[in-house]
Amino acid sequence: MADYAKYEPILEMAKAAGFSRAEVFVCTSEAFSVSAHKGKAEDLRVERRSGVALRGLLGGQMGYAATEAEGEAAYAELVRAAAENAALLESQDEQFLYDGDEKLAWVSAVDGSLLAVSPERKIALALEMERLCKAEDPRIASGTTCEVGTTTSACLLLNTEGLRREFARGAAYAVADAVLADGDRQYEEVAYRFSRKFEDLDPAVIAREAVQMAAADVGSASMPSGAMPVVFSPEAARTLLSTFAEVFSAEECQRGFSLLAGKEGEKIAAPCVTIWDDPSDGLGLAGRPFDGEGVPTQKKAVIQDGVLTTLLYNLKTAHKAGKTSTGNASRPSHLSTVGTAPTNFYIAPGGFAPEELYAKAGDGVRIDELQGAHAGANPISGDFSLSAKGVRIRGGKLAEPVTQITVSGNFYRMLESVQAVGKDLKFGVPGASAFGTPSLLVERLDIAGKDE
Amino acid sequence: MIAKHDAEFALSRAMRTGADFAELFVEDVESGTIKLLDSRIEGANRARTRGAGIRVFRGVETAYAYTNDLTAKGLAAAAEAAAAALGTAGEAPRISLVRGVAPNRHPILRLPADVPGKRRAELLRSADAAARALSPEIRQVSAGITDEYQRVLIANTEGLLVQDERAHTRLVCTAVASSETENQYGTESPGAQAGFEFLEGLDVAYLGRKAAKSALTMLHARPCPAGAMPVVIENGFGGVIFHEACGHSLEATSVGLDSSVFCGKLGQKIAADCVNAVDDGTIPNAWGSLNLDDEGTPAQRNVLIENGVLKGYLVDRLGSRRMGMARTGSARRQDYTFAPTSRMTNTFICAGEDDGDEMIATMGDGLYAAKMGGGSVNPVTGEFNFTVAEGYLVRDGKIVEPVRGASLIGKGSEILFHIDRVGKNLARAQGVCGSLSGGVPVDVGQPRIRVSSITVGGRERG
Repeated sequence: MADYAKYEPILEMAKAAGFSRAEVFVCTSEAFSVSAHKGKAEDLRVERRSGVALRGLLGGQMGYAATEAEGEAAYAELVRAAAENAALLESQDEQFLYDGDEKLAWVSAVDGSLLAVSPERKIALALEMERLCKAEDPRIASGTTCEVGTTTSACLLLNTEGLRREFARGAAYAVADAVLADGDRQYEEVAYRFSRKFEDLDPAVIAREAVQMAAADVGSASMPSGAMPVVFSPEAARTLLSTFAEVFSAEECQRGFSLLAGKEGEKIAAPCVTIWDDPSDGLGLAGRPFDGEGVPTQKKAVIQDGVLTTLLYNLKTAHKAGKTSTGNASRPSHLSTVGTAPTNFYIAPGGFAPEELYAKAGDGVRIDELQGAHAGANPISGDFSLSAKGVRIRGGKLAEPVTQITVSGNFYRMLESVQAVGKDLKFGVPGASAFGTPSLLVERLDIAGKDE
Repeated sequence: MIAKHDAEFALSRAMRTGADFAELFVEDVESGTIKLLDSRIEGANRARTRGAGIRVFRGVETAYAYTNDLTAKGLAAAAEAAAAALGTAGEAPRISLVRGVAPNRHPILRLPADVPGKRRAELLRSADAAARALSPEIRQVSAGITDEYQRVLIANTEGLLVQDERAHTRLVCTAVASSETENQYGTESPGAQAGFEFLEGLDVAYLGRKAAKSALTMLHARPCPAGAMPVVIENGFGGVIFHEACGHSLEATSVGLDSSVFCGKLGQKIAADCVNAVDDGTIPNAWGSLNLDDEGTPAQRNVLIENGVLKGYLVDRLGSRRMGMARTGSARRQDYTFAPTSRMTNTFICAGEDDGDEMIATMGDGLYAAKMGGGSVNPVTGEFNFTVAEGYLVRDGKIVEPVRGASLIGKGSEILFHIDRVGKNLARAQGVCGSLSGGVPVDVGQPRIRVSSITVGGRERG
């Protein structure tokens, strides 16, 4: 099993340097990816990274450091840097290392079939998917690229309190980035799938989806400004959910950066809105049996029927709030410090088909894609104003494609004004967290476009 | 950083499967962050990252492998993993590297690691105190210093072997102004490709006050009206408009794939006559500057637009092969986990001759964007969007009141023609640009300019 013995000496060195408690976190990741472009495998990547992080308590402060170098000298420098950082800190928060030893709900592992897939098969799949894009529509342009990849990662967590935990996961993904030329304009759409098994990736389905979406954009134009009902597609709704997810973090609330501070138990959303954080295996592929501090994870509703049931806590923020950790300590890599983050975080699907949401909207717009969320959305205020494209809804049915519009609103007010939830839950590409939403009908948002 | 013969051995292994070119990039980086929140030092982290990336080319086919294992064996294994993409292994050619010397235009006077953490903490405390002193409505201040000292070694099968060092230091101060129900923030974030001497030269109290003032202005602003209108964009970070609307579409990553709106337009008018723009990686100690790019090509000053006419693209080695054009010192990457691609360095619209007051006085009704936020662009369609961090409504040529929540959207190819005034007060500002090869430090910049019509997104109809 895991090579804990290799890293035990770092804990010893930390104790000798005066740390009362210490923890070592080891991350390794491997990845392979290839892009097909103009019938050739053009951009092949083979990745291998590993690093070691140390954190520990010295004078009541938690010092951190990390290194990608190995050996005694590098580890001595690691301990020295962590001690120097601890000496700088003035935090008034009580800090913890976990000493529990519960049995975990499930054992994580990389699917054996994933490791057996040869580079040649991945290259062949990318080339096949690009060929299928071209076969789907003669207007597919040379900018089209298709990427196929696999990723695996593993981490070890060991501390002076006896904690020893390990975690591994892997996934395969395929992405079709279709560029379609019609007249003097180009249209771009991206479709993708990911799975723990390479065999689940169907290039025909992904290629067709990307090309059909691009074809549906042909002739898109702006539309007159106005306030109107909006149906967010799962992709667009997910952009908003993932951008604003940090407002559910107890850390952000305690720092005064989230308006949800002090709102637990209060109604903050429409009754049709329930949001789950579910760390189980499967789902969005960001599940994990224990969190970044080693605390077992748990499934919970964050919003239940419109009521904020809990924030996401780690050991430090839970202690500060007089609660117990919800198992949401985050630690995406050896270079990150411990914060809070969701696992598989999703809006529970409702009972409506997308067509029923368009019918309820009457006259409005379906937003399919939002751009620039890193700049145009402000988690501190909840305000967003984002460039968007989508489809007009006229008389309850989808009509012409629109582009070059902005949709503006406020995330908190939007949660309150969700009128109906679709049944088409879809997850985005998993990272440290995975986000999923179905289509959402929102009462009214401001759309800015070009007035005729 | 690694022995010459280890580099030669790795490059030789990389060439075994029919590559026509291979390159090795090794970096060893010491980086640190320190953060202040609630007027206390709440976070400090230091990391040493080091790794190597090997890229092989056969025509425009490339493969890239990276590893943290810098032993001869580890480098050779990465080289073989990259080479395996091109075919089966044959003879390994002999590679001889010749050590070259990089020019040094960006001296590092004081290594960040040599400065005690206490000094960083003092700077953050001054910014915090100055921001809070401005108003009781400033309820939170977060301030941080990031520093990075990067040593790189670049070698390739043309015999190149060069080493360089870079330091990046930056201070970020964000002030949050709060009422009962609202939070608004203002940020200042100067940085340089220089050592700690850059931070010692800053007036951090002034930066704290400036961030706080912007947050307070926005707290008391009403939502921006939406619609198409003339917009005056202030200097400095206002240059993000050019970065997004035009700069990305001039990178070989999109031009070389025939997917940029500016493909085949060299020598043609792509902007109004008053527009001149450059990408200049040679400005001493500027945040986006380099001695050598990440492929070992010296940084240079690239004229992009002259009197509205397109003069050049930003070209890396792969782009050079695709486009048949010379490299422009534009190959950059976040770190060894990314293969380099064509990127901007310090990119800005040059100073013009128009009067700054006149362009507002004659604009009629519109928006004055005193401070821009971030944005993004789709290089295929040229569609961009960016946010206005501090905006003011202009009525009948007069600035009347602050407005918030505005965003500007449009198409790069169109907006460049709609620039009808270019002022004299050129200034640059710092950002981190995210693209295919990760986040890299860049300067954006411009003087005050006016665009005759842009679609403004906002929460109220005008």
